[in-house]
Amino acid sequence: MNEFEAWLRMEGGAAVIDLSGLLDRSAEAALGEVFGRALAAGSGPILLNFTAVDYINSTGIALIVGALARARTIGRTVRAFGLSEHYREIFTITRLADFMGIFDDETAAVGGTAT
Amino acid sequence: MALLRRRRKPEPSQETATPVGDGVAITVHDEFAMPSAEGNERAVMERVAATAARLGLSGARLERLKTAVAETAMNAIEHGNHCDPDLPLEVQVASTAGSVVVRIADRGGANTMPPAELPDLEAKLAGEQNPRGWGLFLIEKMVDEMRTNSDGVRHIVELVMHREEGR
Repeated sequence: MNEFEAWLRMEGGAAVIDLSGLLDRSAEAALGEVFGRALAAGSGPILLNFTAVDYINSTGIALIVGALARARTIGRTVRAFGLSEHYREIFTITRLADFMGIFDDETAAVGGTAT
Repeated sequence: MALLRRRRKPEPSQETATPVGDGVAITVHDEFAMPSAEGNERAVMERVAATAARLGLSGARLERLKTAVAETAMNAIEHGNHCDPDLPLEVQVASTAGSVVVRIADRGGANTMPPAELPDLEAKLAGEQNPRGWGLFLIEKMVDEMRTNSDGVRHIVELVMHREEGR
């Protein structure tokens, strides 16, 4: 398993954050910093790309909750794509899926077409 | 509640089957200990998963067990053993005819699990509840049964995953 990394890029008005590695306590500083830059980059949706994430634990879920809370305070939409079936289930159980759109891939997430 | 009887660590070729309590035969497939260091929960998860896969768990049910094991091990490391690497995290993987049973023990005595506040995402997003506090919730949702007990020194969490969903 790899260390956590997060990279920001812009795609069609959306801020896309490519996540990779372990989404656990070790991800807190990097995710917080990159998410802050995404919040400052325009007013479009923020897309979290989980395609290269190996592992999410309860602390990682808390980090996503914290990021989603930051976005909601300024009315920004957060969407997710690239989740495995297992983590889709966890996002459903925790109700994260009720507050952020879950999409199969980046094209669908940019377009906001629910899957 | 059927408790697993403590035995010496089995050699790979010496897996033990012993009728206990209510007569259910329990076979121990793996026993090991790890230092209570942050991150070791993933090593526990991978080793348990390898044994559980050999016992027939696969797909979504194996993934659920992996998440439950990692969260239980993390609770044991952080709350039971306070990340003291000199305190062992003890793990046992066993099976009955119908289930895979994982026991994870720390040295926290009777009071090692964090308070079982039901996480409320709306409250967390509104800043009315700490964003954390998902661990026990996830464990309970991932496995078919979860039991806890203590022998006064060790706090033991037993995770049960039936080999077939709905049994």
